[in-house]
Amino acid sequence: MTFRLPPKIEIALLKFWHAWLAGSFLIAYVTADEDTYAMHLFAGYAVLAAIAARLLVGVVMSVGSPLALPRPSAKGLVTWLIERKGRNPLFSWFAAVLFAVIGVSAASGALADGWTWLEDPHEAVSELALGVMLGHVAFVTFMYGGKRLLMRFFRPRKAVTPAVLACALLAQPVLAQAGDARRDAILAGYTVQARAADPSFAGFSAERGEKLFRATASGGDARTPACTSCHTENPRATGRNAKTGREIEPIAVSANPKRFTDKTEVEKQFGRDCKGVLGRECTPREKGDYITFMLGQ
Amino acid sequence: MIMFRTYAAAALAAIALMSSAHVVADDRVPPVTNDLVRKECGKCHMAFQPAFLPARSWNRMMSELADHFGENASLSANKVAAIRAYLTANAADAAPGKLARKYLRRIGPGETPQRITDNPEFAREHRFPERVWKDPKVVTKSNCPACHPRAERGDYDDD
Repeated sequence: MTFRLPPKIEIALLKFWHAWLAGSFLIAYVTADEDTYAMHLFAGYAVLAAIAARLLVGVVMSVGSPLALPRPSAKGLVTWLIERKGRNPLFSWFAAVLFAVIGVSAASGALADGWTWLEDPHEAVSELALGVMLGHVAFVTFMYGGKRLLMRFFRPRKAVTPAVLACALLAQPVLAQAGDARRDAILAGYTVQARAADPSFAGFSAERGEKLFRATASGGDARTPACTSCHTENPRATGRNAKTGREIEPIAVSANPKRFTDKTEVEKQFGRDCKGVLGRECTPREKGDYITFMLGQ
Repeated sequence: MIMFRTYAAAALAAIALMSSAHVVADDRVPPVTNDLVRKECGKCHMAFQPAFLPARSWNRMMSELADHFGENASLSANKVAAIRAYLTANAADAAPGKLARKYLRRIGPGETPQRITDNPEFAREHRFPERVWKDPKVVTKSNCPACHPRAERGDYDDD
């Protein structure tokens, strides 16, 4: 099934849902006592409703939407292990485990209201759910912030005060998660434009993006006949502006997670660089292809 | 006698240190402290310190961003205004220090130069054989950090 909402609304919904689930689980967890049973019950149903709503929406939403559910597959895992490219498959596996364990925790709680023998299993599963959630927090923090922080510790380039470090550590997972969603929103915007320009448009292609990245053109500035003139043949490498000599941070998302997360910035850069390399503006499809290629790099 | 010599050597060393420190302090300009300027100007090239050009030059540059040395560097109107305000407030005519004065001295009152590297003072301080400029790391004369590692901080003291 295919269904999309404006990207901004989809991301707002996703954030709202995350807060809903995390908040209601937390409340249910701390009120799991005889004295606060009514609140525990209410919060537990809120968790159950959040899980149900998310699964329903995830099935309805089309692939590419931030609200679509990433499906874990053994094949994807093997491909990733061999090629070491793209999104870490642990993300989708983790999501599936979270859904399962929180879902069972909430459902068993609802049933335990009638069948009291379920109370002990419910408690055990809920403890497990909390553990998995803490693991989720640790995993996301590590994937987005921790890896880079560790690098900074072992290869210190600038003096980083403990306060800055602490702030970075706290802000990183939030920012990085938002980064993914913002990138999805930018791609979603280009999808809409590409479809408007060509009704037969059937999605972006990393291969076309790679072709664009490596192609030599003659319409632009003589110093920049290709994207690779500045970004080098390896998108994960640090580039160099062919006109000014300025270093350019890697263009590949894996090497530079900030890439393609600020819509104004992305549009500005495409505006300048497409003119410099191709001597013309890029089409929405080319921009989407390019980002899609860089996402897998 | 030995004592006197030690003192004399120490005094000479102190004078040498102080005078070199004095010379060193000459090749500095106030660093760019504005985040917007650092980010927007520093995207494609080093964010040059405003002390290298007079305010009228920065004014002209900020009015001609659509053709910024052949590049379209247009920005939103409010960003342009904020960057213009910072650059003109810290321009050569406003900045303290010898280096800013040396550059300003070579500019006529009616001139609005755009390239810092065209200033005769720049040429005077960069008399190198052509092969130095041809180093692949350099690319162009305006790439200060290629040779001055602390250029971003306004420190050009490493010659």
